[in-house]
Amino acid sequence: MGPGEISIDRAEGGVAVITFSGEHDLNTAPELRQRLAEAVEDGGPVVVDLSGAAFIDSSIIGAVLDARREAQEQGRGFAVALSDGAHPVERVLEVTNLATTLPVHRSREKAVSEAQAGAEEQAPRQ
Amino acid sequence: MTSEGLRLTVAAMPENLAVVRQALAGFAEGVGFDDNAVANLKTIVTEACMNAVVHAYPGDEPGPIEVSAQPHSDHMQISVRDRGEGFQPRPAEPGEDSLRIGLPLIAALSDGFEISGAPGDGTEIKMRLAYERADNGTAVAPAPQTVGTSMSIAPGELGRPVLSRVIGALATRADFSIDRLSDTVLIGDAVLAHDADDFSGGMVGIEILDGDGSLDIRIGPLVEGGSDRILAGLELPGGTSLRRLASEVEVKREPSADGPEQEFLRVVVDP
Repeated sequence: MGPGEISIDRAEGGVAVITFSGEHDLNTAPELRQRLAEAVEDGGPVVVDLSGAAFIDSSIIGAVLDARREAQEQGRGFAVALSDGAHPVERVLEVTNLATTLPVHRSREKAVSEAQAGAEEQAPRQ
Repeated sequence: MTSEGLRLTVAAMPENLAVVRQALAGFAEGVGFDDNAVANLKTIVTEACMNAVVHAYPGDEPGPIEVSAQPHSDHMQISVRDRGEGFQPRPAEPGEDSLRIGLPLIAALSDGFEISGAPGDGTEIKMRLAYERADNGTAVAPAPQTVGTSMSIAPGELGRPVLSRVIGALATRADFSIDRLSDTVLIGDAVLAHDADDFSGGMVGIEILDGDGSLDIRIGPLVEGGSDRILAGLELPGGTSLRRLASEVEVKREPSADGPEQEFLRVVVDP
């Protein structure tokens, strides 16, 4: 077990990458919502990397879904990364059918490129 | 039903979700759950407790969440109960995705669940989780209601992963150093290893308050003289003792619910 931490980095192309470590639940959901809102408002594409998370609950999933909706409404690219393997977060995403609907990419690099592509795709509509 | 099990009571606050989750995970590992079963248990217990945190007590003063886990031969029965307003289904509002996901998560990851309760009578979510395990039974008794973290568990090996994880979660929250965390776990291990005859009813009752940065640990009820024997048992080689590990040690006598005074050992550990 580790206390949940959330950090934000800038990847290539100005993509904001929000990285999880440790366990996350309703207790850290407000901080996550704040970070996600700031990242979306900053204007660039956003990636949520869950690969380092040891646990997430539905409040975290709710925060990610809300941020994705907001990003889509503002024409921002948005993607989720979760590395391969028997991951504790994987099962939660599978049973909620979010692994396919989000969608989830198997590497941070892939998620970053998809978020960039998503932003470019939506840019002409603005 | 077997007599072994775990009971845990915490205040319905978001920061206590990790405490419950770690306690149940430690208990499940001790019982023999594999990693996947532990992960499923952590999710369903967190979701059930979150329901209580969010909905049970709308005022500023959080009431209790009472969690019990009862292992049977091929499954564990888990109950999460609050004493709040009762289950009142309503449509999810915008931004409340978690409400639409929580119960389906419990349904998908458990092997059966039911919700009972009525307005004003609290809510209980009972969940069943199938598993295979090696038999290593212990026994348990009910825990008193409390605003801290209260647990009741049989002495011995099965309690160690539970108590060490609970202490770990609370100590991390209180910014304990690794050394002080180790000291606190050492105290917990020593208490669990103590002769069961010194605990009233043969069960180790432990209540931990963590509001002011310290861990205020109340051990008992104990039989007469039990505190002194626990303290003597913690005199370790090299001059280490509980009195040196703790910032405060106190033997207390408090009236029980049915009258006679009971003995408790209070130990305060600073970060």
